[in-house]
Amino acid sequence: MRVRQIFQFTYCLALTFLLVGLLSEGPAQATIQGISGISFTLVAAPGYIKTPEGNSIFFWGLGSDVNHVQYPGPTLILNEGDTITITLYSALPQPVSLVFPGQEQVQAQGGSQGKVTREATPGRPVTYTFVAAHPGTYLYYSGTNMALQHEMGLFGAIIVRPAGFDPNAPTAYGTSDSRYDREYLFMISEMDPDIHRLVEEGRYSEIENADVFPTYYFINGRNAPDTMAPAFAEWLPTQPYNCMPLMHPGERLLMRIIGAGRDNHPYHFHGNHAKVIAEDGRLLSSGPGKGADLGYSRFTISAVPGHTYDAIFQWTGREMGWDYYGHTSLSDPIERGELAVTATLEAPLSAGSAQVTLGGQGEKEFPMYREVRCLIWSKAYPSPDKDPNREVVKVKRASGNLFTISRGLEGTTARAWSEGDYVAITDHGRPFPVVLPENQNLTFGAFYSGSPYLGNAGNLPPGEGGLNPFSGFFYMWHSHNEKELLNNNIFPGGAMTMLGILPYNAPIE
Amino acid sequence: MKRDLLLFLAVTAFSLLSLTGAWGGVMVQCPEDLDGDGVSDVDLPHVVCRHLTGGDGFTVMADGRSMYIFGFGDVTGMPADQVLESGILGAQFPAPTIVLDEGDDFYLTLTNVGMLMRPDLFDPHTVHFHGFPEVASIFDGLPESSVGINMGSSITYYYHIAVPGTFMYHCHAEATEHMQMGMLGNLYVRPAQNSLPDGTDLKGFIHHTGYKYAYNDGDGSTRYDVEYAIQMSSFDPEFHDADLNVQPLPFADMRDKYALLNGRGYPDTVLQGPILNKVNGRNSQPLDSLVHARQGQRILLRLSNLSVTRYYTLSIGGLYMKVIAKDAKLLQASDGRPMSYDTTTVTLGGGESVDVIIDTAGVPPGTYVMYATQAQYLSNNEEDYGGMMTEIVIE
Ligand SMILES: [Cu+2]
Ligand SMILES: [Cu+2]
Repeated sequence: MRVRQIFQFTYCLALTFLLVGLLSEGPAQATIQGISGISFTLVAAPGYIKTPEGNSIFFWGLGSDVNHVQYPGPTLILNEGDTITITLYSALPQPVSLVFPGQEQVQAQGGSQGKVTREATPGRPVTYTFVAAHPGTYLYYSGTNMALQHEMGLFGAIIVRPAGFDPNAPTAYGTSDSRYDREYLFMISEMDPDIHRLVEEGRYSEIENADVFPTYYFINGRNAPDTMAPAFAEWLPTQPYNCMPLMHPGERLLMRIIGAGRDNHPYHFHGNHAKVIAEDGRLLSSGPGKGADLGYSRFTISAVPGHTYDAIFQWTGREMGWDYYGHTSLSDPIERGELAVTATLEAPLSAGSAQVTLGGQGEKEFPMYREVRCLIWSKAYPSPDKDPNREVVKVKRASGNLFTISRGLEGTTARAWSEGDYVAITDHGRPFPVVLPENQNLTFGAFYSGSPYLGNAGNLPPGEGGLNPFSGFFYMWHSHNEKELLNNNIFPGGAMTMLGILPYNAPIE
Repeated sequence: MKRDLLLFLAVTAFSLLSLTGAWGGVMVQCPEDLDGDGVSDVDLPHVVCRHLTGGDGFTVMADGRSMYIFGFGDVTGMPADQVLESGILGAQFPAPTIVLDEGDDFYLTLTNVGMLMRPDLFDPHTVHFHGFPEVASIFDGLPESSVGINMGSSITYYYHIAVPGTFMYHCHAEATEHMQMGMLGNLYVRPAQNSLPDGTDLKGFIHHTGYKYAYNDGDGSTRYDVEYAIQMSSFDPEFHDADLNVQPLPFADMRDKYALLNGRGYPDTVLQGPILNKVNGRNSQPLDSLVHARQGQRILLRLSNLSVTRYYTLSIGGLYMKVIAKDAKLLQASDGRPMSYDTTTVTLGGGESVDVIIDTAGVPPGTYVMYATQAQYLSNNEEDYGGMMTEIVIE
């Protein structure tokens, strides 16, 4: 099975990185591709999408004109409070419409009245207006013959920016707990190609929507590995959006997850839990000023059809038990993200003493009942590597903010520390805990740098690796119903992409 | 017998190849292991070493059908020269349960013993510690972004167990195939709150030595008396047969017909003791799912789903479950208010876990049935009154 796998992954990934490199000149921020404004024209028309194993599937899409429809429809990026006008033209053989769950004061004019809203037919467009009254992540989709038209591709995402949105300090909901450094869209859907073929051939009477049996699974309208190819890739004209999340350690990545198909998809992200702060465009909050206090953390988010989720993902490498930068000495420079949690001494700690109160930002993040490895250093120095007297200790919460300190570890001498000196949870300087097997006993992944350390290119045999030019850590983000990691009968593919955690010196878009 | 000859040849070949250096051979890494059996020989608090094999084997479904699997076997503490013989055709389903304590340093060695029935395959295997936070990619077990261990060799993974909770593990090499074939298991971490000094006051709840909790709740709300880890999964017999018979694998057509709890369908789920497979007589499904408690006890169920095809909903006739955690996170608002809730059903997709507590105070003694509410899965393929169902016995 392995030859296929390597082949599948290689061709477009290299291109993604090439493009990332080219774009890295300016200060542009990683964001979600889409169209902004208050007035939009959308045309519903047929087209073809491509799948990575070489298939071409007939679909119904939305776009700026009949020759530029796309799957999914354009992502509309709106501003809170704006009144939005969308005119829908149709070139489809059956009436079509759009509905906008979560938007306010939705009205429709023109066309003809359908079951759910007014519908467009060729020559008879419909104009919808609504107020984007609340920030958040939403979707829009056809309100006509939904059993068939969702399958055929008539849906898209809506992102509403909060009032006062500042692209240099972005938030999803205007609250501090919804701030983020990078945002990515994960719109998950599926297709049953047999239904698409029957529509293409006009054999509508043979379609049995209740028997749908999908064999293609998508993120943002692409199957892996195309998910990781550049956005707007020439060879995917009807599938302009990619999904290639990249971040540095410690950054906040906003995941906007949308269940856009008709099945539930358990979207699993390797690397860490993410905290869901909003669903369906509403902050999970018990009241004004409380932020997302009812938010919850998950390692898998079930994307339910028609439902949206905003989640904050972070990765710091906290308490890994070894130094993921590969430092072996305490005097090696501290890299960003290495001090997972920093607190301050609230009282002096004399030589030989074992108890101290801790305060400052980090104090609450110490574990409740367990010892952790920490560094203590003087506030006169910016970081522990600069302080020749830094000390490795083990810290355990005794009660409240009173902590027990075990001293004299790892080649340091117990000494006195002053009020305001720092204590940080860190694995800085701790060696890698095991010996890796010889290269000839390993099979290497194309996203492996050859070294366990972040930013460190190791020795890979010729022809191995290749998709990780900055020596990052890559984590698979995928549907955990693994049957959905297929392109028809070919593994791997489907609803899958990779998160890249890149060292700080690596540019991200 | 032909299979015994194959086994002999395989062990001999592996040994020869590791002697020549072409294959790495069995190599276990465990701190202070002085005699090479992969177990610490001095008492190191918080060091845990396990040794698993990755290979193939056979199970038997509740309707009697023999099912070829890929899987993990437990060879912890076994001398290196016996590992291959134990591992070959020694796969278990589910994989050996891994239980850890918060704060542990966990060294997990995986030896790939190859798939005896598929000598044409040279698949590497991995261990993915599913849901565990902040693991570096080298120990994440994702072959695309790290390494897989080849046949005849061992790799040791290391994890600092910084958080408690109900996780799970599985092989991530050729994920759809290896997971459908059975490389899945229970894995959970007990919280540091268990080791508090006797008499500690937790917001009015007094801890006593021996009390056990599911999480570091700070208030005793997750205390339990008995715990059971129950993993949902499902098998497509056509896929397993195709793999055994070296046929093209029906990926797109995958339809699971055996819905399982801890690798067995009802009534095998309540059968205590071994189930010997029909091919080499190994006890490859050692885990039942029969839950036992005395009236008044609090039962912790650590539920997870590693089916590769679908969501399952579990319900218990006549009993409520209190959902205290999902995906290894206590249900708690940011100000510490509990967000646990009572329910009769829990629904899990692949790669999701929940912890539920059943308080049996005042519950009449008797046998209660836990079952999938998608009733079509209460079957063992064509045989009804089976599938994803087990019993909770309260005395
Ligand atoms: Cu495997
Ligand atoms: Cu997993």
